[in-house]
Amino acid sequence: MSDRTQPLSSRLLRGAHRTLTGLHPALESLLAGVVGLLVGAVLMYIWGYDPWRAYIALFRGAYGGSYEWASSIARGTPLVLTALTFSICLRAGMFNIGAEGQMYMGAIASVMIALFALPAGLHTIVGLVFAALAGAAWSLVPAFLKLTRGVHEVISTIMFNWIGRWFALYLAIYVLVDPARAEKTLSIPVGARFPILVRGTDLSYSVFLAVAVALVIYFVLWHTAVGYEVRAAGLNPTAARYGGIRNKRTMFLSFILGGMAAGLAGAAIVMGLPPTYAIFGGGAMPQLTNIGFDGMAVAMVGRNHPIGIILAALFFGGLNAGGRVMQFYGSNPVPLEMVRVVMGAIVLTMSIPELFRLFPAIKKQGERFVGFWRRAAQRSPRRSA
Amino acid sequence: MNEERTNAASEATDGYFLRADGITKIYADGTVALRQATLEIRPREILGLLGENGAGKTTLTKILSGLLPPTKGRVVSPRGPVRFSSPREALDFGIGMVHQHFALVGTFTAAENVALSHERPFSFVQLGKTKEQLERLMAESGLRVPLDVPVSQLAVGEQQRVEILKVLSRDVDLLILDEPTSVLTPLEVDELFALLRRLRDKGTSIILITHKLKEVRSVTDRIVVLRQGELVGDVRTKETSAEQLAQLMVGRALDDASRTVELSDEDLPTRREARRADDGRVVLHVEDLVVRSDTGEIVVDHVSFDVHANEILGIAGVEGNGQSELVEALTGLRKAVSGTATINGTDILGVDPRAIYQLGVAHIPEDRWELGLVLPFTLAENAILGIHRWDEFRGPLSFLRWGRINRHVRGLIDRFEIQATGPSAPARSLSGGNQQKLIVGRELAKDPAIIVASQPTRGLDIGAAKYIRDLLSEMRDNGRAILLVSADLDEALARADRIAIMYEGKFMTIRTPDELDRETIGLLMGGVTTKEVA
Repeated sequence: MSDRTQPLSSRLLRGAHRTLTGLHPALESLLAGVVGLLVGAVLMYIWGYDPWRAYIALFRGAYGGSYEWASSIARGTPLVLTALTFSICLRAGMFNIGAEGQMYMGAIASVMIALFALPAGLHTIVGLVFAALAGAAWSLVPAFLKLTRGVHEVISTIMFNWIGRWFALYLAIYVLVDPARAEKTLSIPVGARFPILVRGTDLSYSVFLAVAVALVIYFVLWHTAVGYEVRAAGLNPTAARYGGIRNKRTMFLSFILGGMAAGLAGAAIVMGLPPTYAIFGGGAMPQLTNIGFDGMAVAMVGRNHPIGIILAALFFGGLNAGGRVMQFYGSNPVPLEMVRVVMGAIVLTMSIPELFRLFPAIKKQGERFVGFWRRAAQRSPRRSA
Repeated sequence: MNEERTNAASEATDGYFLRADGITKIYADGTVALRQATLEIRPREILGLLGENGAGKTTLTKILSGLLPPTKGRVVSPRGPVRFSSPREALDFGIGMVHQHFALVGTFTAAENVALSHERPFSFVQLGKTKEQLERLMAESGLRVPLDVPVSQLAVGEQQRVEILKVLSRDVDLLILDEPTSVLTPLEVDELFALLRRLRDKGTSIILITHKLKEVRSVTDRIVVLRQGELVGDVRTKETSAEQLAQLMVGRALDDASRTVELSDEDLPTRREARRADDGRVVLHVEDLVVRSDTGEIVVDHVSFDVHANEILGIAGVEGNGQSELVEALTGLRKAVSGTATINGTDILGVDPRAIYQLGVAHIPEDRWELGLVLPFTLAENAILGIHRWDEFRGPLSFLRWGRINRHVRGLIDRFEIQATGPSAPARSLSGGNQQKLIVGRELAKDPAIIVASQPTRGLDIGAAKYIRDLLSEMRDNGRAILLVSADLDEALARADRIAIMYEGKFMTIRTPDELDRETIGLLMGGVTTKEVA
């Protein structure tokens, strides 16, 4: 059964398989990023743009200077938090697709602090607590439905995204609306806002919130008994139960932590995003839309590890920030949507190694296919003769 | 059409439909599942395949039905050697197998399930035609199932009939059934056997895999006995007795030169006398325990026993007779229906596993990959599973003390001779024996009052198995109570102070090993109670 007796195609496939499945997770992510950019380049070329100049514009716009870095980081900040939502729940063995809805609830809850006055620092903290609680509450409903009625969390969280979106929009338009400007909600009071970190940019102190939450979650997952239980239950629920771990508890805990992170993402946007520090109900909440879903992509590229997520969010934030520059770049204005194409291609590429782990099955199908054609080819000359 | 083909085949040959010729099967991990098995399958015959767990019954039938290729040897039909690379090819040839675990789509009806099994890539599902065929088949065979009800709503016996119909609808000449009666009620068993006899009279050959002596004697024409991969008997049912079959099935090898080469004295579990078995106090007390399986049948049926300190109580028996469910009920992993179980006087039924562990229970689980370990976790992470909340390992704010944990793990690695690169090696990377040592080490570190060990040496090499058996004996000598569930009869006989034989959820007997001879054990394991034994 040496390698040499097998056909070249099979050996090549196996080589590719070994290479791809043996890669370090970080390298896999890096490779996916490169492939995503290449796919984007090919598409730009087909549509008549110059990919080279477009990417130069994009990366200059993302990481070309301190202003650019600041706006990339600002855009990555909420993504860190929503990515953590997805990752914690995945570590606990569940797909929480609900970061989007939980984030809306967090954002709208943080706007509520505009209704009352408090001392400056305390006001911020109350806003964050509101947001975290709202996010957690929104994620608890699907968790509860799963426990009591067996409703699959993917279904319920997706549904709750829509309920959350329209509920938040309703509150933004009818309840928390700014009497002076009907297109937006009340603004967060000056004392409760995250101060700007780099003057003249969007980057506020909310970035420290995101990094702090990421670190806390890292320590909880890898350095506490509670996090140990969450990871054990996620990797092997049967063994966890055998080990005296109460799986329902770990499930609830992961949803609560995840919901809190998503809620905080909403707060980070509203309380830390100049110039208005409010939600635009009129434009159907453009600053919030897709932050939860993009977080899932960030979580994937960040390999569901808090540190990886921070790096991946920096990259995705950069794509978003640089994309805006790219679309205004002189003679070669590439539409902003191209950035989303690149993101999509990255996510798809990320799943390829997973695909290759299913290699034995694919190989079998492939061999069957090859065998079929070979037999057909052998048959046909005889028939003609 | 089926009949014509079979008749033609049987007339054209010197009386066999298929012959397994010197089949040897060695699995990738080196396990020898079959040695030089030669077996003829004759038309119009029900052949019983009898043997303990791991005797090679399933391997042999998997080779015949194309699921596995043999390592050596060949399968011959009167028309020449045959080689199947998939069950589908075997079906096309006329060999179909009904597995112990049904392969049915629960939301599909019987007709749809059968149509699905006929499907080829890019073919149309011909439901109408399938139904017609099934109606005809049901009329011919007397095997009736509702065709238009989702199979998940059918009783287990009916589901099995759907499986049989699925195979019969492919015009098979050889029908293989793997432990078909284990899920059936007595009445359903009678119906199944009547069906098998009718099929045989119509010309189909049937192989029935079983470990139940009574059944194999009541329905088969010929019985082939396998023991540890070797074909040790091929007898006509009429000319044999339950005693002879039991002897063949479990008896120590009659004159195996081949086995003595591989097995030195080291490997055979050695007998260790208890220090004082009978004056230990009762640690585990079980009374009238009733437990249901996942599918709702009663699989532990009013079982009562005690395990004392300084004692190993062995539970022997063919697997699937309720041992797993018994252990699960005692360790909090499964709810009991009724009865009582106490450890040192504290009730343990309906209590969750964590609380049971706190009473001093160590559990070496049967399935070390599914239950005992979190495979992607490191050695260190696995070594604290279940004890991760101990103050020794958990500091304030629930922080894990990795320093202490790693020291503890290095201690385990040294003490239990675990071959591993260190505490941070993934558990997946260890060999089976070392994984088991890790589990045993972790459980013994709990300083337990009672150790529930379920198949603790299964799949281990000889050295590791002996090491773990010795550890258990040592723990016994240190005053622990041990409940040893083992399908390995030699192990149970050699290590237990008392042995219970479990059959269909009941204890057939609890005796000391000296009071039982192998023949009696074999009969009890097969469900036969003789006067002397009862």
